[in-house]
Amino acid sequence: MDERPVPLTLKILAFVMFVFLLAPVVLVVPISFSADTYMTFPPSGWSMRWYVDLMHNSRMIGALGTSTLLAVIVTVLSMLIALPAAYAIIRMRVIGAEALLALFTAPLLLPTIVLGLAILIVFAGAGLLGTFTGLVIAHLIIVLPYALRVLTTSLAGLPLIVEEAASTLGASPLTVFTRITMPMMMPGIVATAALSFLVSFDEAVISLFLTGPRITTLPVAMYQHVETQADPLVAAISVLLIVLTLAVVMIVDRTAGLTKTFVK
Amino acid sequence: MQPGFLSIRSLTKRYETMVAVDDLNLEIAKGELVAFLGPSGCGKSTSLRMIAGLAPATSGTISIGGKDVTQLAPYRRDIGLVFQSYALFPHMSVLKNVMFGLEMRKVPAAEAERRAREAIAMVQLEGREDRRPAQLSGGQQQRVALARALVIQPSILLFDEPLSNLDAKLRDEMRSEIRSIQKRLGITSIFVTHDQVEALSMCDKVAVLNGGRLEQLGTPNDLYERPATAFVASFVGRTNRLSGVAEGDCISVGGKALRAPGASKGKVELMVRPHRMVMTAAGETMPDFGSEPINSIDGEIRDVYYAGDILHYEIDAGGQVMSVERTTSGGETPVSPGSAVNLTWRVADTLVFGAAQ
Amino acid sequence: MTAATMITAPGSRTSSIVFLATLLLGPIIAVNGLAFIMPVLNLLMLSFRESLGGGGLGDAYTLDNWSSTLVDGFYIELIVQSILTSLMITILTLVASYPIALYLHRAQGRWRTILLVLVISPLLTSAVVRTYGWIAILADDGLINNTLKALGADAMRLLFNKVGVVIGLTEILMPYMILALLAGFGRLDPRVEEAAETLGASPWKVFWRIIVPLTMPGVALGCLLSFVLAVSSFITPKLLGGGRVFLLATEIYDQAIVTLNWPLAATLSMIILVIFGAALVLYSRLLRAVL
Repeated sequence: MDERPVPLTLKILAFVMFVFLLAPVVLVVPISFSADTYMTFPPSGWSMRWYVDLMHNSRMIGALGTSTLLAVIVTVLSMLIALPAAYAIIRMRVIGAEALLALFTAPLLLPTIVLGLAILIVFAGAGLLGTFTGLVIAHLIIVLPYALRVLTTSLAGLPLIVEEAASTLGASPLTVFTRITMPMMMPGIVATAALSFLVSFDEAVISLFLTGPRITTLPVAMYQHVETQADPLVAAISVLLIVLTLAVVMIVDRTAGLTKTFVK
Repeated sequence: MQPGFLSIRSLTKRYETMVAVDDLNLEIAKGELVAFLGPSGCGKSTSLRMIAGLAPATSGTISIGGKDVTQLAPYRRDIGLVFQSYALFPHMSVLKNVMFGLEMRKVPAAEAERRAREAIAMVQLEGREDRRPAQLSGGQQQRVALARALVIQPSILLFDEPLSNLDAKLRDEMRSEIRSIQKRLGITSIFVTHDQVEALSMCDKVAVLNGGRLEQLGTPNDLYERPATAFVASFVGRTNRLSGVAEGDCISVGGKALRAPGASKGKVELMVRPHRMVMTAAGETMPDFGSEPINSIDGEIRDVYYAGDILHYEIDAGGQVMSVERTTSGGETPVSPGSAVNLTWRVADTLVFGAAQ
Repeated sequence: MTAATMITAPGSRTSSIVFLATLLLGPIIAVNGLAFIMPVLNLLMLSFRESLGGGGLGDAYTLDNWSSTLVDGFYIELIVQSILTSLMITILTLVASYPIALYLHRAQGRWRTILLVLVISPLLTSAVVRTYGWIAILADDGLINNTLKALGADAMRLLFNKVGVVIGLTEILMPYMILALLAGFGRLDPRVEEAAETLGASPWKVFWRIIVPLTMPGVALGCLLSFVLAVSSFITPKLLGGGRVFLLATEIYDQAIVTLNWPLAATLSMIILVIFGAALVLYSRLLRAVL
């Protein structure tokens, strides 16, 4: 393919911009091992005290539990909802399938601050504020567009003829789906699950509107902590989150090909 | 018409803007191997998909073994289909692929495996049972597809251009293999192809389709020697065409009177297979046709091509171009362009069709 | 030919297909209606209701929210500042992202994959984490100021003002811009560049006359995305601005949560959507102009 050498100026510029792009994420790692009471960089000494602190911070641990449970439930539900919908849109000639797909992915286009406010007002009337159920529904609305996008792309890429072959061999539509279609979609399903989990787990803005004193998610707890205190506690959590993200990215890369999921 | 094992009556498939299959009637006897032959877009694949249940018929009926299956979903039809692109299950081993249909029929696992291994042996893939489709060559994948369709002992076996993705040598091999397996098992089969050699050499009967309509159903010999329509005559084998005006069995072509079997009237087209025409140049002796009535026209050689086993002549006969071949024997001098020649053929080899509009 | 044909036999097809499709699409329609369409329509209506303060609503419909927002100097300033700040962030994001995207477009093999993962990973990392990282860099006791002090220079105020917000958001939006640019770089054929070179163009000329025009569709898409995300971003301006930088998104939150003036928050939300629409129109105009 392209054998052209990359000009040195471009290499240097790209390198500098990469440093800028990665600086904040990379920097939290040394900060998390700071021995200081306040956040300074470079730290005056090194310790594990903030990890120990985190372990004893019941608010953060509680929020971590809530976020994990929430992300798992939202992932499972989004799969149960998006998979049949993707099948209907791609494999059955539903009238206005294109329009439906556009409608279902529309929440992605709305600013989360607007969507959060809109949901807050409706949920306030329905008594869903500060409830786990409310968080699940709200997260579903932002996770489903991602899930549907990845699953429809994955399903549309499958050769229909293989499913036809199964049906001529005597497999009923349900059997064709469970034995042939689903296994062939596996990379897409794994990518969807990973993406759903991360989107839900990282969601901060909408959750900020819906959480309350009784229930809070990890990103919200972190946000509120950073808003009031400048200590390295959040750095320790951040490192855990970055490790989690990297793990998920690796899983997706192994199964579906990460770059393929995001770049054509 | 005698109802066949597979009986297709008035089968029609209409899309919004076009008719893909137009009033198809066909009876196929048990154990027969029938080709659906035609150019692309002639409706042969659509017909096959309707028989398989993968495309709904707009109207008409399909019955298999006396049972109307027109409204049945594909998985209730008991058919085997071999696809052009194999359509193997990529996530299953060869053995699991072949066992799939048996599993769907609730055949006990042990028996299913035994039968699947037999079928795999039949297509000569022993030892590759645990491979994934991606690890096999195109020819091997098509053999798996064949085994997968055969093993369920379907009442009808359908082939949708199964050999067109294979190279020439493999294709020849697979042709005779498919034919011998089909005869051994006696499964009624339909073989869709656009390759006339494939259709003529493999199948008991050939149905020629054109523009969604059945042109002719007959044995390969029928098709070649007694084509029912001008389309069949020109699509199956090669022809030289002459236009003329008929009056009874006498046809006037450019002022010259020719004869043809059967009577017709008005503008007609005569067709003669190139290799049934004998070319005689000045100084050569005319071949002896015995007491057979013959036709003869004069012409002039326009061009000659050397193709190794044959010499191919293009002859201008009163403004109509004929091609004629002579097998080479080595050492002969081709008749040079510009020479006057005579073309002779038996009246019995003359095909007459009403002129195309 | 059609996918639907394999679901059921002909004949019974139409009715059972409709039933099945409804069954399969039912849950997503329910969630979408309950948590998206209804709330958004409700929000639109709310922008025409009177606020009685403390979360109370008047019964009548009124244009007061809209008229007072569009006349009040504070809100006009807020809207203008939001748009200008977002435009500035967009341009900075483009400048910072373009070299990376161009480099990624040229890079190959394993190296390219690794760099792409590095671009995408921040996208999957919480905005709170990345903003926190910026606090560590920009704070009075942070990386930059401590470096400046070590060098004997004067410390700069980089946090809790617009500078911090602009720097942080630029970095946060870079992955989106890079991916959009890459998607639009498809037309960049190295042979065209080579052709220009053989015709006597210097590398600098090739860049301005060939590469830049050919990558305009990607640039337009990336700018649209960055602008829209900048206008609506909340976490980063709130944390890096420390409540001292007023933008539309932070004002919406304050009106909704602190002041409890939902109709005003709803009106400001609708104004954001109007700005979105305008950006989209501008984008399609621009795209038609460059294609």
